Amino acid sequence: MDFSYSEEQRQLADSLRRFTEERYPLEARRKANGFSRDAWRTYAEFGVLGLVIGSEHGGFDGQATDTFAIQFEAGRACLPEPLIPCAVMAAGLIQRYATEAQREAWLPPIAEGREIVTLAYQEPCARYDFARPSTVAEARDDGFLLDGEKVHVWHGAVAQSLIVSAWNASAQAMSLFVVPSSAAGVTIRAYPTLDGTHDAQVTLKAVRVPKSALIGDAARGEAMLESALELGIAAQCAASAGALERLVEMTAEYLSTRKQFGQPLARFQALRHRVADMAVQKELALSMAHLAASAIDHPSVIERRRMISSAKLIVSRAARFVGEQAVQLHGGMGVTAELAVGDYFKSLMVASLRLGDAEFHADVLANLPIEPEARARAA
Amino acid sequence: MNLSYSSADLAFRDQVRRFLAENLPVDLREKVLNHRHLDADDFVRWQRILYQHGWGAPGWPAEFGGTGWSALQRLLFDIECGIAGAPRQLPFGLNMIGPVLMKFASKAQQARFLPRIPTAEDWWCQGYSEPGAGSDLASLKTRAVRDGDHYIVNGQKTWTTYAQHADWMFCLVRTDPGAKPQSGISLLLIDMKSPGITVRPIRTLEGLTDVNEVFIDEVKVPVENLVGEENCGWTYAKYLLGHERTGIAGIGNCRRELNYVKALAQRERRHGKPLADDLRVREKIACIEAEVLALEMLLMRVASQASQRGAGVESSILKIRGSELQQSLSALQLDIAGPNAVPFSPDWLADGFDGWTPDPGHGASIGSFYLEMRKPTIYGGTNEVQKEIIAKAVIEG
Repeated sequence: MDFSYSEEQRQLADSLRRFTEERYPLEARRKANGFSRDAWRTYAEFGVLGLVIGSEHGGFDGQATDTFAIQFEAGRACLPEPLIPCAVMAAGLIQRYATEAQREAWLPPIAEGREIVTLAYQEPCARYDFARPSTVAEARDDGFLLDGEKVHVWHGAVAQSLIVSAWNASAQAMSLFVVPSSAAGVTIRAYPTLDGTHDAQVTLKAVRVPKSALIGDAARGEAMLESALELGIAAQCAASAGALERLVEMTAEYLSTRKQFGQPLARFQALRHRVADMAVQKELALSMAHLAASAIDHPSVIERRRMISSAKLIVSRAARFVGEQAVQLHGGMGVTAELAVGDYFKSLMVASLRLGDAEFHADVLANLPIEPEARARAA
Repeated sequence: MNLSYSSADLAFRDQVRRFLAENLPVDLREKVLNHRHLDADDFVRWQRILYQHGWGAPGWPAEFGGTGWSALQRLLFDIECGIAGAPRQLPFGLNMIGPVLMKFASKAQQARFLPRIPTAEDWWCQGYSEPGAGSDLASLKTRAVRDGDHYIVNGQKTWTTYAQHADWMFCLVRTDPGAKPQSGISLLLIDMKSPGITVRPIRTLEGLTDVNEVFIDEVKVPVENLVGEENCGWTYAKYLLGHERTGIAGIGNCRRELNYVKALAQRERRHGKPLADDLRVREKIACIEAEVLALEMLLMRVASQASQRGAGVESSILKIRGSELQQSLSALQLDIAGPNAVPFSPDWLADGFDGWTPDPGHGASIGSFYLEMRKPTIYGGTNEVQKEIIAKAVIEG
């Protein structure tokens, strides 16, 4: 086992950190409202957008550990852009499951930053369910006709294409389709979110797509989507771990400078112990982000689910705990919209609610086999 | 970054599993897995089996007769031993005074004491805490006065685990009462058979008497039993506490007790079916399993030396999390056993007991373990002291 960055990972992470510190500071990130065209171009130049894409399509053949290194920095900087839904989940899904012709058509524009693709798979009143969408795809001679309603479409406002899940009666399965946002019958209503970015609600009304819009195997949509969600969760865990690290640093800095009762807050044991609790949770979250990255290529579906859901559960709880403590320790300043602590807090809150919250993943885990290890059975 | 085990790591783990399957005596395994009491012979027997296999000192470098294993190998060994139900290897000689002697003792002291530790010829105990010096260890008062070739030691130690079995005690004593608290302390090795040593047992919550008070009355200790330099004992004590990075988390215990929880949930029944089928219970087990996984992954990171921080902070984080988790696991056992955790008598867990106990028979095991698990958040520096160490590192850098 080796948890240290490779030379390439170190360089990529450093470039991203320099960029956010020197050219894309908090004020600019706030103004971006979730998306900066300039930042996106820079991510493309750094190779971030093509990280998980094959080199034959303009990418870098990156592994889950490369995504970890990038996302940790993205989280540390609280970057608002759709790196996870587009460059990790959509790109990863297409790279893994689409036909060669589809990869050729869809991946280079993502890697070059020309096209943003996100996933539209959640539906009203279904929370995090994804296996049995109400949206339907009706097979026609020349393609499919899509009808349905999608909610919580992550960065749906800026995406040029959507990966839409729909029940495909002809395959007796859920299938995935790439649908241009501009297609006739697609209505996108964008709305602001808790963390200052924008999601969208998407209505699909008799949307015609060609046969080539169907991603990969029509019968395997559920497995493909689950795999994309796993990629997303691993990336999100790494990003949250990065944000947690920064939040602990910020809080420690604040306690050292702010004085009350004639001494720095950092002298008060009630506050110091909260910082220690935050640091412990941060380390656990970081450890679980590593575990999630290591789970991506695990051959067993059950074990992969256990690792991924355990990771998201622990990271979501840590995000909530550390975020809330950070606000509390900043006192009155913590509840203003002025300090960065608020941005990180809100970003972590939203991260804890995306891709399955703690309750969802606890439920996943509770439904996996729970058996004592065979070699440990007491006689 | 490579987050999977190397094939060498996996081969090592298989080797440990095979060894445990073939060499761990059934009666010892039975006792450990059922929270029964181990007596002194049990610890010695297992330690000698390990020694004969060349694994008597997993944490020691090869030059001192250790295995020379990497930190990751030691971690895998701890986990496998825990799951299999092996008795713990007592830390006092192996993990505490052993490494201190390797680092600070004279060649003569090393030759005299070190080889007798992995063989279990010498049983060590720790003379640190005193009635007035617990978390505030530096305020210890046991006094050693130089008198020719000897120190004359007077004072009292407490919470001394297994002092009743010990041949030797490594003991912090005050040699310079005029100096600042930390700088007047020395580390002495005291023969427990010395005239003037009295061991008095302390009965703890679960009914055992494994910890003791040790009274030291005009005890003569030869000066050759001073470790390192006079008045430098605090440095050695701190080295001792920070040396063991990953063992302190008790991950092997966590894995073993998680298995106990799962097996218990299969045995306990409600509404005509096992609690293991109840979604609420499954969720509690699943969540604690996720926490065990997180601790294990944190240990992997520390063992792989990924973290850049000092040993003190890592040990403190691991100590807090490991002790809290062991407590959570014991509490979950109590929750799952419910009314069946009420029957309790320490004798039911004693060596050789085969009398009647109320159905379903596992009550005392759970109650005893729950009570015993009050200790880990207290010993080795309370968790509150650990938090202070972490906060200092995070805030002051």
